[in-house]
Amino acid sequence: MKIDRRDFLKSSAAGAAFLSTGVFPAAAQKPKTIVFGGSIPMSGKEADTGLNVLQGYKVAIQYINEKLGGVKIGGDLYELKLQMFDDASDPQRATTLVQKQVDDGVNFFLGSFSSAIVLPSAAITERAKRITVQAGGGSDQIFTRHYKFMFGMFPRASRQLVSLVAMMKSLNGGIKSCSLVTTNDSYSKTQADGTIAALKEAGIELKNVYRLPPTANDVSGVVSQISGAVPDALVCTTHEHESALIAQQLASTGTNIKLLFMALGPESKAFRDNLGKLGEGITNIQYWEPSFHFSDPIFGSSQDYYKYYNSVSKRHASYQTVAASACIVSYVRAMQEAGGLDTEKVRDKLAALDFESVYGRIKFTKDGDGDPVFMGPAIGQIQNGNIAVVFPEKVSTAKLLFPKPKW
Amino acid sequence: MVHLVQSLVDGLMQGSVLSLAAVGFSLIFGVMGVVNLSHGIMVILGAYIALLAKQFLGLDALVALPFVAVLCFLASYGYDRIIVHPAIRRSNLLSSLLVTYGAALVIQNVFTLAFSPDFQSLRPAYANAHFRLGGVVFNSLDLISLAASLILIALLSLVLNRLPIGRVIKATAEQSLAARLCGVDIDRIYAITFGLAGAFAGAAGVLIGMLYPFSPASQEQWTIYGFAVVVLGGIGSASGALFGGLLLGIISTLTTQFIGAAYPNAMAFLVLVLMLVIRPNGILGNAFSGSR
Repeated sequence: MKIDRRDFLKSSAAGAAFLSTGVFPAAAQKPKTIVFGGSIPMSGKEADTGLNVLQGYKVAIQYINEKLGGVKIGGDLYELKLQMFDDASDPQRATTLVQKQVDDGVNFFLGSFSSAIVLPSAAITERAKRITVQAGGGSDQIFTRHYKFMFGMFPRASRQLVSLVAMMKSLNGGIKSCSLVTTNDSYSKTQADGTIAALKEAGIELKNVYRLPPTANDVSGVVSQISGAVPDALVCTTHEHESALIAQQLASTGTNIKLLFMALGPESKAFRDNLGKLGEGITNIQYWEPSFHFSDPIFGSSQDYYKYYNSVSKRHASYQTVAASACIVSYVRAMQEAGGLDTEKVRDKLAALDFESVYGRIKFTKDGDGDPVFMGPAIGQIQNGNIAVVFPEKVSTAKLLFPKPKW
Repeated sequence: MVHLVQSLVDGLMQGSVLSLAAVGFSLIFGVMGVVNLSHGIMVILGAYIALLAKQFLGLDALVALPFVAVLCFLASYGYDRIIVHPAIRRSNLLSSLLVTYGAALVIQNVFTLAFSPDFQSLRPAYANAHFRLGGVVFNSLDLISLAASLILIALLSLVLNRLPIGRVIKATAEQSLAARLCGVDIDRIYAITFGLAGAFAGAAGVLIGMLYPFSPASQEQWTIYGFAVVVLGGIGSASGALFGGLLLGIISTLTTQFIGAAYPNAMAFLVLVLMLVIRPNGILGNAFSGSR
């Protein structure tokens, strides 16, 4: 086999990266195993996003094991093992599965998706002093209980939409009034509460707040109320199903709104494909986008990650997917800095992390959620069926379509 | 006043689809005494068959509806013959609860594997067409669904009341032993009843897929709605399901409008509990065997 200069340089760079990150080929020694436990919705109401999160965990572990031959921690070589079970979007089932794994001696957990599931599971792992790093729960309730072993990739929900309100304000009077639709679950509710406070501070009139049950199957009543008092902006702190329902029923009644925001849904390709043209112009929070450039101690860069991800996975990567991969990267980093797998030491190193990863800069607050400055979201918008980042300007990839195209 | 009328219109539209989705649940319970906890699966099966017809044949969901109904009839007929009825025969009616619940879980997971847990939609291009009449908004798709639901429920009523097979089904429901003594193949009639219920559930699934996003997990709520509708309206008759569905729809939209968007389910189930206490047979309850 002929090795040219470019291949040699590539190999040398890769070798240097392995040495600097402590990742070595497996041939050197027989690796030990680190088990990452937890549950995730592979079926049920939250399965769509749950699978996005799971895929992020899987791909990161696959890369470390297969491409890098494992990871070196404190002089020993380890391979990573993912042990996630289907909680069927059911918090009760999730707690049973997590408790079983705690009893079996699993020390490191990855989170489920949706705050309603992460919250009760967190109580179990915290009590047992087992670490959880997760990319699926943002409710304030997870991060205001003074848990020491719980870390989340997103800022707590009440801080997540500050950038949305800042964008509204930047539209120079284009948004004078706003209404909110929220579902009655811990994530959506606290996200709405934070948004209400931010709107008040920005001097934007809050017209109405509509609170839906956690699972709504018809929102025609709410839509008829909205069409009777159309605000400039409608902020929906809703999950994917409810977001799709609201968009469809707003379109059915021809209720056009200048700025339509949906917290969960637009980041999913399936959501965008199903809404088709109806999705155009809907905004969302966007924590990650393929155009973002970050370096990463394991993958090299976010572009390398994205390339590898697409080569091994058929499921489209959402920002939750990349955040989930960053959970693994953070674990590895903290374990290497701790020089072993002692949970207390790894926990302390996680709490002190401050580095750039595939997902962006990782720095947790003292309560364990993502730092709102370094890990806060940008605002995305569906344009031509894809997500374009439209705010803040320094990371934007397209101009905001404002007002949103009519139905 | 406009808000009240709009809520009533929305309630009727929503309720008509609930009625169609529940009429099969009512029929099976009324005739066989089986509480079919896999009813939502039949609804979702209809939606997924229409999705396949749309993706592979380019068929509009409404055009596909009759074919979907036929396929769901066959699937439900086989389901009763192979799974439900043998389980009841070996044990008792109560076992049908476990069997149908278990089957629903298994089939839901099969759907998840086959179609992914992602939300799907059958929404056609004409779904956004609407008009205003005196300030009240009427959507074309809602009106189509209302018409389709009423026509299909009337058709079922016609089958049950006017056709020989309908009379045999009713006779079996009234007195299965007497029907057997008269030479009726009870097992076949039960399977046909299951098939009919599946056909109407599948047809409802098509309309539901046009109106709302759906996924395999949606099946649970359609079973619950089916139960609520038959308790409100009365078990075993098409008119009972129609009445129960419309009532549930109107309760839901009026609650959203005048009490709060968070409470339609709470209010619906409060009414349900009251109904069970005051009139357990439902408003149009009848004397079919399952309801006695």
